[in-house]
Amino acid sequence: MTAFTLYNYVLSGNCYKIRLMAGILDVKYDTVAVDFYPGFEHRQNHMLALNPAGTLPVMTIGEQVLTDTQAMLAWIALNHDPSGTWYPAADPMLGPLVQQWLAFSGRLTNSAGLAGLHSMLNWPIDGEAARRAAIKDLRELELHLTDRVFEGKTWLVGDHPTIADIACFPYVALSPDAGLDHDGYPAIRNWLYAVRSLPGFVTMPGIHHLHELREGADG
Amino acid sequence: MSLEYAKNDWYAVADIFCLRDGPRRTRLLETDITVTGPAEDATVTDDQGNRYPVQLKFDHVWTTLGDSPRPLFDIPEGDEEGRRRVPCGVVRVNCSPLRAVENFLDIAHFPFVHTDILGSEPHTEVSPYKVAIREESDEVWATQVKFFQPQAAKSAGDGIVTDYDYRVPAPTVAVLYKTCPPKPEAQDVIAIFVQPVSETVSDVWPWMALYDDASTFSEMAQFQHEIFVQDRSILENQRPVKLPLDPKMEIPTRADMTSVAYRRWLKKRGAFYGALRDGA
Amino acid sequence: MTTRPVGLTRDLPAGRVMHAQADGKDMVVWRATDGTIAAWDNRCPHRGMALSHGFVRGNRLACLYHGWHYDRSGRCGLIPAHPDLEPPATIHATQYGVVETGGVIWVSADEAPAPDDSDLAPLRSFIVEASEDALRDAQEATSADGAPPAPEASDRVSVLCNPIEPGRTQVTVLTAPGLPLPRLRTLSRWCEAMRRQAEAKETA
Repeated sequence: MTAFTLYNYVLSGNCYKIRLMAGILDVKYDTVAVDFYPGFEHRQNHMLALNPAGTLPVMTIGEQVLTDTQAMLAWIALNHDPSGTWYPAADPMLGPLVQQWLAFSGRLTNSAGLAGLHSMLNWPIDGEAARRAAIKDLRELELHLTDRVFEGKTWLVGDHPTIADIACFPYVALSPDAGLDHDGYPAIRNWLYAVRSLPGFVTMPGIHHLHELREGADG
Repeated sequence: MSLEYAKNDWYAVADIFCLRDGPRRTRLLETDITVTGPAEDATVTDDQGNRYPVQLKFDHVWTTLGDSPRPLFDIPEGDEEGRRRVPCGVVRVNCSPLRAVENFLDIAHFPFVHTDILGSEPHTEVSPYKVAIREESDEVWATQVKFFQPQAAKSAGDGIVTDYDYRVPAPTVAVLYKTCPPKPEAQDVIAIFVQPVSETVSDVWPWMALYDDASTFSEMAQFQHEIFVQDRSILENQRPVKLPLDPKMEIPTRADMTSVAYRRWLKKRGAFYGALRDGA
Repeated sequence: MTTRPVGLTRDLPAGRVMHAQADGKDMVVWRATDGTIAAWDNRCPHRGMALSHGFVRGNRLACLYHGWHYDRSGRCGLIPAHPDLEPPATIHATQYGVVETGGVIWVSADEAPAPDDSDLAPLRSFIVEASEDALRDAQEATSADGAPPAPEASDRVSVLCNPIEPGRTQVTVLTAPGLPLPRLRTLSRWCEAMRRQAEAKETA
């Protein structure tokens, strides 16, 4: 028995958020491969019938359909995280802070995410504008994570990783492949490493395994 | 650099899908061109109105900018009954077209770059294999290549020792033939057709011809996207960007016999576009 | 060559790798599990892959491409494709000088002397898309502001520059040790203000 079905494209950072959260919380699910590229299947009638917005991922839980990535993360955490730490929705301060960074992750999709589509798949958009917007977003994230370093904290919010960390991780981790290096962002680099070190972490193309943590390590 | 030599090869500049929504504006060997469909009757023109020859082969539109082009190679297995042909679109990589081909010929990186799919530690050893430059066809071939793979293809279940043959029929094309899990008597065919945008920018068209009745088109294409995009961040971080042909610049080992033969073959042909020549 | 500040000790924990640039050289800076630090030419001698994408196992740095392992002297100790082979001594990474003082990592391509130790504490390391001159002007202008987030004399702010490319400068900011948390946050925002000003001037 699987928990949900994910309509998935392997190079999508938003689809990856769902695979990553499910991997960390050890949730079993089915996938349907959608030919986002080169077939643009997400814009075809059978996919638009499922999600009129024509975006990926799409998640179905029985008859229920979710079309927003951050809502899907909330669903997984609220239904499959017995600890309750991944989405502290009822906490009067942590809950709103998680919401704030979930919204920020939506901005990343439209900056670093689009810059990636432009540099890799020649997406017909203004790539330079997307890169400029991404640099602004990366700097905002670096400022926040530097505050967290001053406080001795690792995660975006509170003392535990949350769905906000998962939501912000992919397009930041992938940004070097869009021509946005991480040289000037030491706090981001260390936060990315912390996410990649989480038990149950899964990879996507462009984000490789931490080989130092795998079997075969001699240290 | 040897632009004149490169102009007389054929290059994939579109696939059968990408012209459906209109012409493709692209760049080949630093020349801006427009590819206009339909794929079966495509035209290729530059901005001065010059028209270039076209042929449709392996589900891609091929063109050449030269006056006396060398013939386009063949992949006869592609036409065999029962194979499913999967053009995978195009991926832009900021690398030399020759670095992209050399990486495709390499197996030693599987455990580190395609971890748990095409390789995994501790199964890192590369056994001896055979490499030859075949005189009659003037192609580089590597045969009897074997490697342990956790999940060799979409149709593969558990780990198997996969057999490979590799072939370089043109400087910017690499073809591999590998164990086909559902049909042991046959081999799957996977190729990359590299469109050299410039010496340091490549548009790569992966293409497959597989025996696989179980997977959807989308599943097969995504498997190839996953593999190729794992290579992309390697290819964009090799220095120098151009492929060095001076044997003193990069140190090969026994596992790199194919790469060594490929570099020698490029040098012998004078195929220097995307390469760093001796002493340069 | 002079000695250049390329990052903070705090930002490179044991077992980690980073990319650095100094005086036109591309470098990998990495810290072994036992805490020792090394700076090398950022290039695996095998196929030219940037070693800054590599990973640390024990006290060796491995290249991400084919997993070749290099010990702290830069010598290749393992080629996974041929695990039984003793790699020839000729395969080694090119080493640069690296020292850590006052929580700052300094590199040099030759044996340039290490900078004097200071009693200041590191605040941040970041990159500005502007020349060192533009950055110095912006430092002066934003410091003279007098209102938050501008630094005060008691903050003892010191700004170190590492020009990495024309119009691109790595900046390390130091402050008096032991500043309270709200002061650190404010000065971090002053870094942003200084960067905005330098970049606006550069594009003006």
